[in-house]
Amino acid sequence: MQIGMMQAAKYKESYLDPRTKILLLVMLAVFVLGGTGGRQMSLFRLIFSSVPFILLLLSGKVKTCLLWSSLLIIGGLVEYALIPRTTGILNYMMVALSGMLTRFAPSIMMGMYAVSTTTVSEFVAAMERMHITEKITIPMTVMFRFFPTVREEYASIHAAMRMRGISLAGGKIIQMVEYRLIPMMTSSVKIGEELSAAALTRGLGTPIKRTNICQIGFHIQDKIIITFCLFTIGYWILGVMGVIG
Amino acid sequence: MNTIRKENSKLQGKDLVHIGIFTAIYFVVVFAVAMLGYIPIFIPLLCVLVPIIGGIPFMLFLTKVKKFGMIMIMSIIMGILMLLTGMGYHCIYVGAISGLIAEVIYKSGNYRSSSKAIMTCGFFSIWVWGNFIPFFIDIEGYFATRKEFGQEYADALTSLMPIWMMPTLIIAAFVSGLVGGYLGKMALKKHFKKAGIA
Repeated sequence: MQIGMMQAAKYKESYLDPRTKILLLVMLAVFVLGGTGGRQMSLFRLIFSSVPFILLLLSGKVKTCLLWSSLLIIGGLVEYALIPRTTGILNYMMVALSGMLTRFAPSIMMGMYAVSTTTVSEFVAAMERMHITEKITIPMTVMFRFFPTVREEYASIHAAMRMRGISLAGGKIIQMVEYRLIPMMTSSVKIGEELSAAALTRGLGTPIKRTNICQIGFHIQDKIIITFCLFTIGYWILGVMGVIG
Repeated sequence: MNTIRKENSKLQGKDLVHIGIFTAIYFVVVFAVAMLGYIPIFIPLLCVLVPIIGGIPFMLFLTKVKKFGMIMIMSIIMGILMLLTGMGYHCIYVGAISGLIAEVIYKSGNYRSSSKAIMTCGFFSIWVWGNFIPFFIDIEGYFATRKEFGQEYADALTSLMPIWMMPTLIIAAFVSGLVGGYLGKMALKKHFKKAGIA
């Protein structure tokens, strides 16, 4: 029994520590999606864009990886091959398309990797090790659990309201807000109360410190990535201060 | 029940779960509204639209707030979410400060006063302004990495964002937060009390 559990824990273990994944996610959000640093950081942007691609491949998600990387490649090809040859409105559309694909695809890939390879327990364990207070950790975990529910609720209300002809096309903006937002909130809050009750029965909110069986820790691959991230941040700060760049 | 609540002023698991749920709802609403930002004229208007529409879920959240810290935590988490969605890190500290002010105001009304709740909504809404800081610090650098929006978009937005817009947008966010709070209060009266969730 014990051995079986240990094997299961080992099988779950991905190549990276959850803290490394969070760091990578933030780095991609800031430097690739947010475009911080401008031209000075363009080489780093390229390197960070390729990271989620490799990670997805290593964790065996070949299909997802191929889908998103082909989108990324299309974006790149459009940028280098088609943009210099088109003009006018077509050029504007090409620029918009390629920019969207190359900027959003890596971050979405990284987000998918982080969410699909990290269990909630691992996330909580990682946050605990970083000494981040429960007051931030619990709302964050509930939130990520809750996003799909909100989306589902909205989809069903959307379907019902379309039948009644309440959509943006009808020009009924106030009804849009009142008849869609409010039912969505009402049902989400009800579901939330149930979720809260379920979590309490499983010992959330007890005054005793919770234990965690997840084994997390930094390995050589984590150390390499973290060192590189720190180097990137250092390079960016030096650039902001005007030492280099 | 009331006396028990007063003694127990530390945040419990249930409160933290509530913060998570309402932050999720609030974020979805904000995200849907923010999609309008693809049209340049709507970017400064987001400072008005986000607080107005966001006021409805936020006022519902305030009916669950009975302890110190809940508003501020929500505000900081919104900042973290903005960082993860690529809007920069400015929302975290702006949100922490505006959330703290909102918290103090709502506490001064004993977590019950509805006019204080509207004021709270106004101050809370200032976090939106954090998203606009990059425009004022370095608008050229901002568009150097966002070529996909095109030169026309960049020019249109640059002309919409002279430096005097910076204080104007804070006031706009605050005032529309008040409007949103008022709308939210009406929605509470009209719908949520009836549905039994407020």
